[in-house]
Amino acid sequence: MSDHGYPHEPTGVETRKLGMWVFLSTEILFFGTLITTYLIFKGRNFDGLRLEDVYDIPFTSVSSFILLMSSLTMVLAHNAIENSDKERTNIWLLATAALGAVFLAGQIYEFTEFYHKGFTLTTNIYGSTFYVLTGFHGAHVFIGVVLLIILWGVGVRQKGLSLNEGMNLEFIALYWHFVDIVWIVLFTVVYLI
Amino acid sequence: MKERENHHPTPKQYVQIAIILGILTAIEVALYYTEEVVGVFTDPLLIILAISKFIVVVGWFMHLRFENKLVNRFFAGGMILALVLFAIVMIERASGNFF
Repeated sequence: MSDHGYPHEPTGVETRKLGMWVFLSTEILFFGTLITTYLIFKGRNFDGLRLEDVYDIPFTSVSSFILLMSSLTMVLAHNAIENSDKERTNIWLLATAALGAVFLAGQIYEFTEFYHKGFTLTTNIYGSTFYVLTGFHGAHVFIGVVLLIILWGVGVRQKGLSLNEGMNLEFIALYWHFVDIVWIVLFTVVYLI
Repeated sequence: MKERENHHPTPKQYVQIAIILGILTAIEVALYYTEEVVGVFTDPLLIILAISKFIVVVGWFMHLRFENKLVNRFFAGGMILALVLFAIVMIERASGNFF
């Protein structure tokens, strides 16, 4: 994690980990573009329903809290593997995957409700940007849940993750926290402001 | 790993950080419902709270504050480029070039 961890690397950082951070940097631009596109159309007048007509802030707030807490379980899994606590690593990994799955289920329920109320992908361009933005975030959460379950499965099968697999856990943790920070921004920009 | 973990928060501190994040989220939701009382300060306060949560997660959960400067530069680079893009588009939007 720190710069003195990999003196054999020219950069001082484990190369795969540096690659992960570069990837996350490109993801910032990806979501930055989607958020910017959404904001171009937010607050403008269009025919048809708007998000404000259909959303449910208490429900989305609980979803946000669940995703936020999944970052806690993820970092606890990371801490457990650093302390060679294999059992707790698996427990926290499964808890993170479960919380992520609950968030996803909430998003699917929310989208279904919006559709039934008449706010769809094709209602207007504002609706399109909303679904593309939040849908891509949901897709990222889905990928994260799949990766977490795979890693948990490896841990269960091998009765604990090895140090090398611990590095994989660190990559997935970085990805998961990134997904969380994107939602922190989306919750404010899309729902609260 | 042993050497590195010394810089990181303990599980108890992680829980404390998560509680702070939960409280900040509760304040955000409360601000949404008290917009008529808070008035024009609502949106700036919401943005400040979101930035605070963002910094806490990136700094402590992603351990960026304990990381190599190169890693920090990559992350900051992505952020700066995204913000520049955002600023350019919003200036264009304000000048009415999109409609």
